[in-house]
Amino acid sequence: MDQLYGYSLYGLSLLTFGGIYAMLALGLNIQLGFTGLFNAGIAGFFVVGAYVSAILSTAPSERHIGGFDWPIPFSLVAAMVVSALIGWAVARICMRLRADYLAIATLGIAEILRLIFKNETDLTNGARGVSYIPKPYESLAQPWNHVMMTVVVLAIVAVLYFMLERARKSPWGRVMAAIRENEDSARAAGKNVDRLRVQAFVVGSAMMGLGGGMMAHHLKFIDPNAADPTTATFLVFVMLIVGGSGNNKGAIVGALLMWTIWSATEIFTSMLPGDLAIRSAYIRVFLIGLMLQIMLQKFPQGLFPEKRLETGSSG
Amino acid sequence: MIDFINFHLIPGLVLGSIYALGAIGVTLTFGILRFANFAHGEIMTLGAYLTLTMMWLTGWHPLILLPVTMVILSLIVIGMDQAFFKPFRNSPAVTVVIASFGLMLMIRSVTQFSWGAQLQAFVPGIQRPNVFFDALRISPKHILIVISAMVLMLVVHWVLAHTRIGKAMRAMSDSPELARLTGINTELVIKATWILGACMAAAAGVFLAYDSHVSTMMGFQILLPTFAAAIVGGIGRPYGAMAGGLLIGVTEELSSYAWLGDGPLLEPGYKAGVSFAIMIGVLIWRPSGLFRGRVF
Amino acid sequence: MMKTFKQLALASTMLAFVGTAAIADEIKVGSVAGVTGPIAELVVPIVAGRQMAADQINAAGGLLNGDTMTMVLADSQCDPKAGVDAGTKVVNVEQVVAIVGASCSGATNGMVQSVTIPAGVVALSDSATAPSITDLDDNDLVFRVAASDAYQGAAIAQLAWDQGYRTLAMTYANDDYNAGLAGVFEAAFKGLGGTITSNQMHEPNKASYRSELSTLSGNGAEGLAIFAYYGGSGIAIMRNALEAGLFEKFLAADGMFDQSVIDQIGADVLRDNIMITQAASDYDDPSYVAFAGAFEATGHSPQAPYAAHGYDAAFLIALAIEKAGSTDRAAISAALREVAGPPGVVIRPGEWAKAKAAIAAGQDVNYEGAVGNNDFDGNGDVTGLFSVNVVGADGKWTGNLIR
Repeated sequence: MDQLYGYSLYGLSLLTFGGIYAMLALGLNIQLGFTGLFNAGIAGFFVVGAYVSAILSTAPSERHIGGFDWPIPFSLVAAMVVSALIGWAVARICMRLRADYLAIATLGIAEILRLIFKNETDLTNGARGVSYIPKPYESLAQPWNHVMMTVVVLAIVAVLYFMLERARKSPWGRVMAAIRENEDSARAAGKNVDRLRVQAFVVGSAMMGLGGGMMAHHLKFIDPNAADPTTATFLVFVMLIVGGSGNNKGAIVGALLMWTIWSATEIFTSMLPGDLAIRSAYIRVFLIGLMLQIMLQKFPQGLFPEKRLETGSSG
Repeated sequence: MIDFINFHLIPGLVLGSIYALGAIGVTLTFGILRFANFAHGEIMTLGAYLTLTMMWLTGWHPLILLPVTMVILSLIVIGMDQAFFKPFRNSPAVTVVIASFGLMLMIRSVTQFSWGAQLQAFVPGIQRPNVFFDALRISPKHILIVISAMVLMLVVHWVLAHTRIGKAMRAMSDSPELARLTGINTELVIKATWILGACMAAAAGVFLAYDSHVSTMMGFQILLPTFAAAIVGGIGRPYGAMAGGLLIGVTEELSSYAWLGDGPLLEPGYKAGVSFAIMIGVLIWRPSGLFRGRVF
Repeated sequence: MMKTFKQLALASTMLAFVGTAAIADEIKVGSVAGVTGPIAELVVPIVAGRQMAADQINAAGGLLNGDTMTMVLADSQCDPKAGVDAGTKVVNVEQVVAIVGASCSGATNGMVQSVTIPAGVVALSDSATAPSITDLDDNDLVFRVAASDAYQGAAIAQLAWDQGYRTLAMTYANDDYNAGLAGVFEAAFKGLGGTITSNQMHEPNKASYRSELSTLSGNGAEGLAIFAYYGGSGIAIMRNALEAGLFEKFLAADGMFDQSVIDQIGADVLRDNIMITQAASDYDDPSYVAFAGAFEATGHSPQAPYAAHGYDAAFLIALAIEKAGSTDRAAISAALREVAGPPGVVIRPGEWAKAKAAIAAGQDVNYEGAVGNNDFDGNGDVTGLFSVNVVGADGKWTGNLIR
């Protein structure tokens, strides 16, 4: 009975982490999937959102600036706004770049952002991180605190999903698809391609900031290590590719599935004896890489192939 | 002033030579295969570990073993190309770059699994520098690294300028369609590209390890500066990569020199950001790089 | 060999029957550590220390009614995301009764605030040293056997002063552990009347630190205090400094304490020139001797940073389970204080049979561990002992307790 209860709580944790990653994957889907913008700096927007929401919502503290005691919904909105503003600046600068140049530039920007949070000790407490971040419904008794956190995360994911599906089917989404498929003809049809791309980038960045904020509240603690590129950028790419780039449902399923695989594999590898258990931690990473390769080669469309819309405007 | 040369300029040149060797591989892959290879850093790491293993077996100097490492690493890299990049020859760049992400994670975990996370050194102990004119301090290993790097760059220049395959590589970098029309064997050129890139990556990894130590993250840690060097120099321009590498290396070290007042100009905590900042600046204002490389 | 085979058989059985209840005579304790990530090289001996405690206990009668103590490893990566995930797994899936870990202060902070405090599981860290863990609002559920940096930073400052250093330059790696330690050291050394000529943070894992060192070396500093992990940047900084002739004398803390520092830099260069404080034990103390002999037999160095702490933490948890007389999480956390401090029969490393008998007879026990007396204060912290280590004639570290 205890065991079953334990599994249920772990299931909730998988849904919570997976749901937060789904926000990141949905953000990436707008940029990469819909519009073809190769943002390899997810960790940067993630860490901005996490710190903004953390610092605004915590109680005043001597360790870092403020502690402004904002209610969580407001701090999350602020996290989205700040991430969106940074996304706008990045987009204005980098939008002309071709796919891989954009990837390298955004990867570099994410590193610079992480360095800022790490070095500006007076503002962020530097490498020592921000503690006591409030968590939604944490005062409820177990298991209801976990249940409500999961409900909040999944509700946000659901809202994002419906908004994105509407956007995708709207004229705006059709033009985005048209730009990705054939930029020149979209331009020829009189669309302001650069402006639309900036819009997609900004919306995606805001969602990554939201994901970062939710992560900070879930962990109740944030430090610059949480913006490690392996788990904050590359893992999100794997999620979107496995789920199906261009498909919102795919982004969500990919995030939940890959997080489950990433997390649950350890339950088995930790049963290995002694030294092997330690080394098998590396094998997990190897398997993630291998899985990505297999998906790319055998199922390039992912689990949920993109549903092509009739893009009348691009002809 | 002598401090400036001893502790900023010379280390910058050493670091720059290493970046430059790495950037040659990046820029060739970028120019000919048309994607940014994120696994390149791990290839450098692998080169260092292969050399280390052979040193354990033979006890020879790392620079003597370097040619052997180059051969082994070239074979490994060609195998990787066949398994993980060949299926994507006609795919969009995004797909190949993501495949290289995946490969990066795979090589890194294999390295960590095989050699463990423990830090290793080629040569234990420290080397005191030679002192010239009572003030100029240059370590013998730095002379060796910079000279070897220069020799290797000359070899690259000779291959590209005077061999058939080198000319074919340049032709393919400039215009793949035209190259194909003139009957160049593209798969052969691609193989040659990987070999040349792998040899330079082996040298970069070995020199970096020779200067400091061997660790499983060493290649990834210099990957972004290496990309920056390739972009600053101009994509598809090996000479640009050399110049870019030296520029980035020297600027990184000079950024913390006390140009104004007593303290370092830039907090050393931000040193890692210097190369990215230069790179982003070049991407914005001169995307073709210093040497007028390709802009895709 | 037989044991490995049995563990493998056990593992495969578990793989086949995931979802069925845990095997009846097994008590699981979480072992959360940064297996991958920035301190991977430090973690191996720590985990080995924890495991040795469990092995000894199982060989000497096991827990409670002969139950096996199983350490369940989970990777916290030094990343709070992974720390929370690892905590969730061991608490909920593995149903551990208590946790040893996590390793890094950041991962520990995330894990205890988000998972173990709400779940009422006691977490006993063997290596998280950040002062911020002291004042957590933890319902007496967070303990550590590693002394807070607040103690070690002061200890090394005092040592430097006593050795005659008056002006020092210092540099620290920008991470949760070293930044905290460096801050305490700077304040303490200045408080003694010393001068810090220059204090710079550096980013770990760079290829070269020569330019940073050149800036640090001005203004007549007598030596350099380095706060870094030896693998991240410590060895590189020392090598660069020595090769360039910028510094000859070094002070460091336990992130730098490893044989590879001597092996890679060279014993002759470092002899008389380096002092490293380490959260340590009295090497003559019978508790330490008992631990060291057994640990050496497992093929690890007993002096490896925090390995003895790992052992003590796992042993203390076992004592608490025995004392509580059940696997009830609340009872275990309540018993932890009792078994760690006086009064009671003194129990030393390896003396599991004695402890079991004493507890069965209804006596109090007091664990005197390999790293010291492990008496927790009101915050669940220990004061800890520190040793100063220099390079000995045999090219190994030799330590003396700071009295």
